[in-house]
Amino acid sequence: MPATSSSFRDGRGFDRMLVWITLTFLIVFSAFPLAYNILMSFQSVDLFTLASFDRPFVGLDNYKEVLTNSATDIIVKNTIVFVLLSVAAQLVIGFGLALFFQQRFPGATWLRGLFLAGWILPGLVVGAVWSWILAGDFGVLNWVLQTLGLTDDKIFWLSDPTNSLYSVIIANVWIGVPFNMILLSVGLSAIPDDVYEAAELDGAGRVWRFLTITLPLMRAQLGAVISLGIIFTLQQFDLFAALTQGGPSNGSNVMQYWSWELSFQDYRIGQGSAVSVLMIIVVIGVAAIYVRSTRHEHAA
Amino acid sequence: MLRDERLSQYALLIVALALVAAYLFPVYWMYVTALKTGNEITAWPPTFWPANPDFAAAEVWQRMQMATYLKNSAIIAVGVTVIVVVLGTGCGYALARVRSRWMDVVLFSILMMQVLPSSLMITPIFVAFSQVGLLDYPRSAVILAQAAKVLPFYVVLTRATFVQVPKELEEAALVDGNTRIGAFLSINVPLARNGILVAALLIFLQSLGEYVYSRSLIQNRALQPATVGLQSFMGPNTSDWQGVMTYAAIYVTPIILFFVLLQRQIVSGLTSGALK
Amino acid sequence: MTIRTILAGTTALIAGPAFAQEQVELDLWTIDDPGEYHYVMAEEYMAANPNVTINLRTVQFQDMVNDLARSIATGDAPDITYIDNPEVALFASRGMLMDLSPYIAESDVVNVDDIFPGPLASVTYEDGIYGLPRGANTIALYYNADLFRAAGLDPDAPPTTWDALYETAQTLTNPDENIYGIAFSAKNSEEGTFQFLPWVQMTGGNFDNIATDGAERALNLWKQMIDERLASPDTLIRSQWDSTGTFNAGSAAMVISGPWEIPRMSQDADFDWRVALLPVPEEGAERASALGEGDNVILANTDQPDAAFAFLEFLYGDMDRVWNDFGYLPASNVEVVDPKYPEAYAVFEESMKYARTRGPSPEWPRISGAIQTAIQSALTGQQTPADALAEAQDTISDVVN
Repeated sequence: MPATSSSFRDGRGFDRMLVWITLTFLIVFSAFPLAYNILMSFQSVDLFTLASFDRPFVGLDNYKEVLTNSATDIIVKNTIVFVLLSVAAQLVIGFGLALFFQQRFPGATWLRGLFLAGWILPGLVVGAVWSWILAGDFGVLNWVLQTLGLTDDKIFWLSDPTNSLYSVIIANVWIGVPFNMILLSVGLSAIPDDVYEAAELDGAGRVWRFLTITLPLMRAQLGAVISLGIIFTLQQFDLFAALTQGGPSNGSNVMQYWSWELSFQDYRIGQGSAVSVLMIIVVIGVAAIYVRSTRHEHAA
Repeated sequence: MLRDERLSQYALLIVALALVAAYLFPVYWMYVTALKTGNEITAWPPTFWPANPDFAAAEVWQRMQMATYLKNSAIIAVGVTVIVVVLGTGCGYALARVRSRWMDVVLFSILMMQVLPSSLMITPIFVAFSQVGLLDYPRSAVILAQAAKVLPFYVVLTRATFVQVPKELEEAALVDGNTRIGAFLSINVPLARNGILVAALLIFLQSLGEYVYSRSLIQNRALQPATVGLQSFMGPNTSDWQGVMTYAAIYVTPIILFFVLLQRQIVSGLTSGALK
Repeated sequence: MTIRTILAGTTALIAGPAFAQEQVELDLWTIDDPGEYHYVMAEEYMAANPNVTINLRTVQFQDMVNDLARSIATGDAPDITYIDNPEVALFASRGMLMDLSPYIAESDVVNVDDIFPGPLASVTYEDGIYGLPRGANTIALYYNADLFRAAGLDPDAPPTTWDALYETAQTLTNPDENIYGIAFSAKNSEEGTFQFLPWVQMTGGNFDNIATDGAERALNLWKQMIDERLASPDTLIRSQWDSTGTFNAGSAAMVISGPWEIPRMSQDADFDWRVALLPVPEEGAERASALGEGDNVILANTDQPDAAFAFLEFLYGDMDRVWNDFGYLPASNVEVVDPKYPEAYAVFEESMKYARTRGPSPEWPRISGAIQTAIQSALTGQQTPADALAEAQDTISDVVN
């Protein structure tokens, strides 16, 4: 079909134009702040030189300071735990709910929509509500656990350094579930029914169908959801501010919150920027893996 | 046979209700806390329904001049959504259709652009906006900054949707003499509408909750969105939790109602995938 | 000549300076919301001086330093602003604030000798005076007299020493009724430093001399009270306001906090609450208390220095109203006629005499950060109090020298 291929060739300009529209906007509004952060990570910056470019360069000093800080180890470890656990739990729960609500029963669609409430609440409010639920002395979670006989003593979710990170993870998973569930639902409903029907006729069981049909067909959605989930989790800031402020004693501190603390509470802005650049490096890794994965994804 | 199906449907419904109830508990807790007075909030055992419900809604609405705040939130969220949908849909489509190293680089750079939390982006943005005079149009400044923040997210989501639209339909339209843009608008966009709708909705809701940019870029109280108004409750010595939760409830209820009433139009599209 | 200009002329005569004839606009940043101090005072001032327009902007307390620094950097700074008292030195040391000394020397309203030593120290940097306190606050020990009686303690004899405080807290603690003996704030924020520093100062230490035996004793006592559940473990993350909330609800029998609590307490606490001075290490020891509240300062690059100072003078001149109208303690020697909550006022007024400023140091945020880290790592058991304080001392010595 020469006509098709030639019109595709002619249309290259169209694709490029579409991409450039977005890219231009992002370069103007996002690339500059990013570059500015990178620049500051090599400079000595304080509150009062924030807006001037005329600042002394200090080479890698900020990075050295950050990497030799006694808190670095625990903060990096916390960040990894926070991201992995949050993303895994969001995905499993979100996917489970998406599959569950894919079944036909009265009110399925309607009830599923209610899960979006978690996405509607502004971060500030979510943080405040969870801080009440998780409070040690009068929190309702402790009451539920004690009433069910699961625990004897009150658990100090937010003020015990061994628990505080997990408290933030619980709240963060709550926020992330609707996002995962709704997007995966969109993907699930885009899979044609006849594919399943054919498999059913072949005698494939539920699990087998899920593994051999659903998962491969959901590849694009899963890739998007996981990579965005990681990036969102790395950006989670409000919850830390509302629940633990990274404490007690850095017990729940993570890089994104630490970077802000260094910059805007200790006013060591060069060091704060250095931490943010280290985070960018992590995201480069995530983005690269995602982009690679799109090469193999199923195109209908 | 039919009866069995009925039964299992109701069993599913009951499980679904339990799941929804468990998930929505924090939202319920927000409403209940809004009705409790200071001491009852910290009471043990916690009360699941306030002893003396104290409706502060009218007073908070008045005192905080919430009408203005909510109007500004809506303006910002609508502005962001329009910009993002107009600028981003085509990009998501192109990234789904064209396979090349060059497109890989584009996708990669787009993801990179949204790596830092707003709290770290705001300082350079403030400096740049103040230099070019954008701070004189503070709501527009927030719309532009927030649009840049969520655009990568939108592109990645719509891209995944366009991947699922069969190429053959578009190719057939091109053979019939449609232009690229004609085929895009008449074939791809309608077929991907669910994904676009959901992504746009998520963007809209997220922008309603935008706080960091608005707080720094909008100095005039009359132009600030509801999140900034809410934060003004939460200072170190003035945190009036009943007020905070009442405010939050007033802020969130219309959105939840909007959902409940327009479920059919908004979310039910999900079950009937466009491709069936 | 309209009536309005005549009026403006007369007020100008009353208000004094001759600049009053021309129209003046002043930008004022505050942490207040409408209906609070700066809004009320600005309204009154504008009503009395129609030629002056004051544009107010509310900035959140925790954002003030950052927003101010950024606005100075981009040239969008206000003429006048509120600054929390330990941050004045930070801005003054960079030449960002106007030295008010020449104006004060000319002023009939402001007399430096009337300002209490704590607040005065907070606005003094090197040889200049960079602000005027808008008021002050300090902390003291609130206690629930009903619970004292129920536990067989004398409600007229609240604890006066640290040992007595510990024993009293022990007696009052009642896990079955969910009552903690005491509440305070060891939060990882300025509030933690604010609450802890007076304990150190009572034993002769200070922010630059923190690794002392007295400081170690204080931190040990804090730790003991939390470890033995005389105070809630959530003390580590609760603000003073939230801690006092548990006192008002009857879940804590004593609480350390400031006068800003009184309006809510008088409404929420349905028991006989009273206030006493902070206990001291032992009978006869030196007293100390925290100094809170902020200062009104003028930015160095204002183009209306005279008008700005006139407004500051007006604010300062109404110092006798701050307790009854806004809930602050006066920061200068004025007579408060018919104070609200007279018993509490008497205690806080006395406590003000011992209130010391934090710092002053241009590097205060880092010093305070080191102290907060020490408190938190000792209370969570990650370091011994002695080690934690020694580490804080290292950081602070680096910063100070």
